[in-house]
Amino acid sequence: MNRILATFLIFTLGFFCSQALATEDKFHFEDPEKSALFLDLTKELRCPKCQNQNIADSDAMIAVDLKRKVYELLQKDYDKQQVIDFMKQRYGDFVYYQPPVNPMTIWLWLLPALFVVIALAGVVISRKRQAPQINDEQLAEAQAILERDE
Amino acid sequence: MKKVAVFLIPLALFLGLIIFLYQGLFSDPRDHQSSLLEHSMPEFVLPDLMNVEQTYTQDVFVGKVTLLNVWGVWCITCAIELPYLKQLQEEGKHIVGLYYDQDIDPDFGIKTVERVQQEVTEKLNQLGNPYAFNIFDVKRDLSLDLGVTGAPETYLIDQQGKIRLHHIGDINPRVWNKKFAAIYDELVAQ
Repeated sequence: MNRILATFLIFTLGFFCSQALATEDKFHFEDPEKSALFLDLTKELRCPKCQNQNIADSDAMIAVDLKRKVYELLQKDYDKQQVIDFMKQRYGDFVYYQPPVNPMTIWLWLLPALFVVIALAGVVISRKRQAPQINDEQLAEAQAILERDE
Repeated sequence: MKKVAVFLIPLALFLGLIIFLYQGLFSDPRDHQSSLLEHSMPEFVLPDLMNVEQTYTQDVFVGKVTLLNVWGVWCITCAIELPYLKQLQEEGKHIVGLYYDQDIDPDFGIKTVERVQQEVTEKLNQLGNPYAFNIFDVKRDLSLDLGVTGAPETYLIDQQGKIRLHHIGDINPRVWNKKFAAIYDELVAQ
């Protein structure tokens, strides 16, 4: 049993190590800050070919090319926004996972908020309506009943 | 009145949702506007595929309506598209190839050009050659600047060297008639 576990561990560890090495080998940064930025960007840029993967995850040729371009641009001291703009210029807003706010996409934020507001208003109104209307006459009647029981 | 509203409001919301989702069934997630439309061709200096001594720049597109077809011998859809492109070329259309090689990894050495040329010659002898010439996108930089996502893709470029249309996927008679024909004829008439 222990043996099997050990083999399994070695395999999984080996797998992760080789992956980490592979990325480091290919895109090496002197500056750890840039290295972090590279990882961030490749996570946030979307592969234009394989639509639901970021370029860090994807092995499509275009994703590899985009990664290389990000690396190149970072070496040229581009900052994050400049790299994103560079990509958007070529592949459109589509290439970045955070959509821009414009008249078309504003609804992504407005609709949920609107829904909450309307739902709350509905709850408040219906509660008000159902709240029992009590007048003095009814109170007096209730008092009378209570007193009678005593 | 109130009863009618209680019935109608959810019904309207439901129908709205149904229409919205129904449209989704027919929308193509790959269909998004190219951001390069109405822009000039990006700047480049790249060699001819068959004669690497000769280089082209973006100016090569000025003065003629051009179909720029992105392709490679490794691309199966491109091979299916070639005979139709050949037919378009025989009808007098000016078609230029933008060739890129999948096996060339700019980070690790380069497959010899002779090898690529040989593969291309074989393929074109077999299926017909619609290309006036092929631009060799050695490191795929021009493809990246053009927003190419894969092969095949085709750009329609006007006489001023501006991109007027970007089509992802193969060109066939249906796509040509639906997407290209009207704009192409209009550009040629200018």
